Amino acid sequence: MSDYDDVWLIVPVYNEAQVICDVVQKARLTFPNIVCVDDGSRDASVSEIRKSGAHLVRHPVNLGQGASLQTGIEYARAQPGARFFVTFDADGQHRVEDVVRMIDRLRQEPLDILVGTRFHGDTSHIPWIKRVVLKTVVALSPRTRRMKLTDAHNGLRAFNKTVADDLDITINGMGHASEIMAIIDHKGWRVAEEKVTIIYTEYSMAKGQSLINGVNILFDSALRSSRR
Amino acid sequence: MIIQILLIGAVLVLMVFFLRNHGTTRTAAGVKIGFVLFILFGVLAVLWPDALTVVADFVGVGRGTDLLLYGLVVAFAFAMVNTYLRFKELELRHARLARAIAIQSAEPPALDHEGENVPTAS
Repeated sequence: MSDYDDVWLIVPVYNEAQVICDVVQKARLTFPNIVCVDDGSRDASVSEIRKSGAHLVRHPVNLGQGASLQTGIEYARAQPGARFFVTFDADGQHRVEDVVRMIDRLRQEPLDILVGTRFHGDTSHIPWIKRVVLKTVVALSPRTRRMKLTDAHNGLRAFNKTVADDLDITINGMGHASEIMAIIDHKGWRVAEEKVTIIYTEYSMAKGQSLINGVNILFDSALRSSRR
Repeated sequence: MIIQILLIGAVLVLMVFFLRNHGTTRTAAGVKIGFVLFILFGVLAVLWPDALTVVADFVGVGRGTDLLLYGLVVAFAFAMVNTYLRFKELELRHARLARAIAIQSAEPPALDHEGENVPTAS
């Protein structure tokens, strides 16, 4: 038994065979419940996940990261005893210590969702181009500023069952981060930020989303928010 | 020029209306009516090019053919947006179907005899 039996880590996986087993095993030392959503990987990710001791949910076709998150959330929220949920990247960018702090805070404070931020304190470890782009994204979004968030595209989020039960991500691709912000705003969930450290390894830098993808994200968000 | 106000105004109004109401029966019917009107407009333009020029003169475009071209550009843009939205909708349905299948055939981690997860081998 562990103190974190009621926590589920949701890990979207797409072609991460090199690192996924290691990432899951490290996280499982603290968090026993992990669901990996394989998004139609073409490498050995699936067998690596089976080895890792995580629950495995497999998309029959590649759908995108947003869709994987939604699948993982729907799987996890149906599990008995699940109270807290964390979206966690497969490439080893996130630190388990950060998650522990977020969960402890969710237990103590009247909050529904905590979003990780890279922009509190020392930011020198963030590649400068990322820093500029991420800051620009936040500056351009009145919603993010109103919610006092500084890093809308951080993949590390922890939330309670209220959020998990009601979250319905419809953007399959990378635009889901902005969509989640829009849903938080729309539903009036209590949101706060938690300072986290992103580990930029060579592997995660090569895997991370390219900045040009920001164009796709902006386009999707513009069309969606006008419909909402 | 009147035409500039007309074109830009039409695009803005239609765009907002369209994105707000996409997916309803009314909008779908509206799109079809719009399409029929556009075809009619095309046929009339071919039959009476002079009439088109008169209209064009009235709104401040030099020739009837230019007016036709502008109309075509606007219609094309709407067709594109319509297709885009329809694709998005299909994508979402497709994702929900795939998700249902994925969750149904989920694999929990292998359990050992004590009911605990198999210790991680490393």
